Amino acid sequence: MHKTEEPSSWSRTLADPTQRASWMQFVRDQDARVRAFLQFDPELGRELATAAGSTPSDSTPTGSLSGIPFAIKDNIAVRDFKLTCGSKLLKDFISPYTATAVQKLLERGAVPVGKTNLDEFGMGSSTENSGFGMTYNPWDLERVPGGSSGGSAAAVAAGLVPFALGSDTGGSVRQPAAFCGVYGLKPTYGAVSRFGLVAYASSLEVIGVIARQISMIREVFSVIRGQDPRDHSSVPYDEARSAEGGGRITVGVPDLGSISLHEEVQSAWEKTLDGLKGLEVTLKPIELPTLEYLVSAYYVIACAEASANLARFDGVRYGNRTAGFSGNPEQLVRWSRSSGLGDEVKLRILLGTYVLRSGFQDQYYLRAQRIRTAIRREFEGAFSGVDLILMPVYPCGPFKWGSEGLDPFSQKLSDIFTCSANMAGLPALSFPASVENALPIGMQFLGPPFAEERLLQACELFARVFPVPTCPLYRSPQTEGPRGSEGSRAQSGGQERG
Amino acid sequence: MEREELDITAQLARLELSDEEKKRFEQAVFQMLEYFSKMREFDVEGLPPTAQMTQTNRTRKDAVIVNKETEAILGNAPELEDRFIVIPNVL
Repeated sequence: MHKTEEPSSWSRTLADPTQRASWMQFVRDQDARVRAFLQFDPELGRELATAAGSTPSDSTPTGSLSGIPFAIKDNIAVRDFKLTCGSKLLKDFISPYTATAVQKLLERGAVPVGKTNLDEFGMGSSTENSGFGMTYNPWDLERVPGGSSGGSAAAVAAGLVPFALGSDTGGSVRQPAAFCGVYGLKPTYGAVSRFGLVAYASSLEVIGVIARQISMIREVFSVIRGQDPRDHSSVPYDEARSAEGGGRITVGVPDLGSISLHEEVQSAWEKTLDGLKGLEVTLKPIELPTLEYLVSAYYVIACAEASANLARFDGVRYGNRTAGFSGNPEQLVRWSRSSGLGDEVKLRILLGTYVLRSGFQDQYYLRAQRIRTAIRREFEGAFSGVDLILMPVYPCGPFKWGSEGLDPFSQKLSDIFTCSANMAGLPALSFPASVENALPIGMQFLGPPFAEERLLQACELFARVFPVPTCPLYRSPQTEGPRGSEGSRAQSGGQERG
Repeated sequence: MEREELDITAQLARLELSDEEKKRFEQAVFQMLEYFSKMREFDVEGLPPTAQMTQTNRTRKDAVIVNKETEAILGNAPELEDRFIVIPNVL
């Protein structure tokens, strides 16, 4: 299996016209069930790659990513592709420019082939909040792929592309990666330029990578990181700190206290601890008492920043205006926003506006920022005694979509394990840790700033006891058709949705 | 949250809410504010706020950068008259 997933086999897929046509047909067939893509246009991507100075059909590839197709969450700009952010307000918006992270990949010969579905503006944990329909988990089409980068994770898990970009504000790369049984990297805050990422919560979010292979995450991250003159919150990558460590790893294991895990996650958590012990990793208990205040502080900050960032969507210079409108400009803005934005986005804008209102700031926003300082210090203290910290990604496994699933409030509370890395600006990597009842369960390692390499090495180590699992719908570029009887089970599940 | 508070907040957020939406959001906003109140238990005495993560302020040269994307940007405008974006009468 590993052999067929090597980047070189993917690069042949796109370079050879016959293979390309068969792969495009495969993606269209698979995506009729998974619905990972909002836009799939490899020819447009090939034009961009050619314009960037790389020729995907060239027989002398310039780098290991040369000719490799990849998908991009639809809140990251790629010139001439749409940039909808999963919002009806932006359903016809064509991006005039390309995000720095994507541009760097283009310059290395990688080919953007499409834009993936997401919860509107990145707000959600199931991709059900998209304005353009949901995405289905390729492990079980009756379940959500997680979110908000659900389309990116589902596309990778189903074998449509070898890697995809997402964005992580409170877990939006790691949780869908965990739900789809693949790897998801949330880099150190500032390590990857956000030029071209549509802003939601600027002090929290980063562009991240989703892939089935750890080596692919490493390769892509090494290309996209670095300071960018066009993003003033980007920082030079600290290579020296990145190289620190080596030898036997000490992993901090937090006392999860009163936070209850669903049975399947509890089981995976115990298996992960056992697996790590078998690998001669030293486990050390740690305490993170601020964790239980984290979700409230996180949502105060995220919503406050969202209310400011999303004020720009006014239907004046771009975006959808209410049809046949004739009023004054103020009403035009109100009506465009009200008809274009979905419920979850409106809720967060309302909350953010409320906590920033004069008289309430001390009570909410300022207090949340002080709690943020406490959690940062707690992590700093913890990392003086351990190399990495292990945590679950989400308290439950992939849940069903619709009313049988998790209500929006419970989804927010469930961000507890992921949002800590965003609040403290730390890198974190989620990895497949177990398959329980035929569904993947992910865990994550968190590291000090710029410790991405340490995270990758720890996941490589753990992959010895639990290699990346294969979902029923998965097909690598060199094999024919979905495998085994599980494939047809998942397929039949897909027929029932509306 | 009181209906009046919600109305003021929606006004500030430039959102027009229908009566049905007001009912739904009233409850959802209240639920979250209740949850936010958990922060009161936490002693923040002596803790400075973390307002941004990189802790540095980078500046750039005050220089002209030519934008080559003007046409593509105008192409996204909902209504154009020549090179002007049309909005309803201000008066």
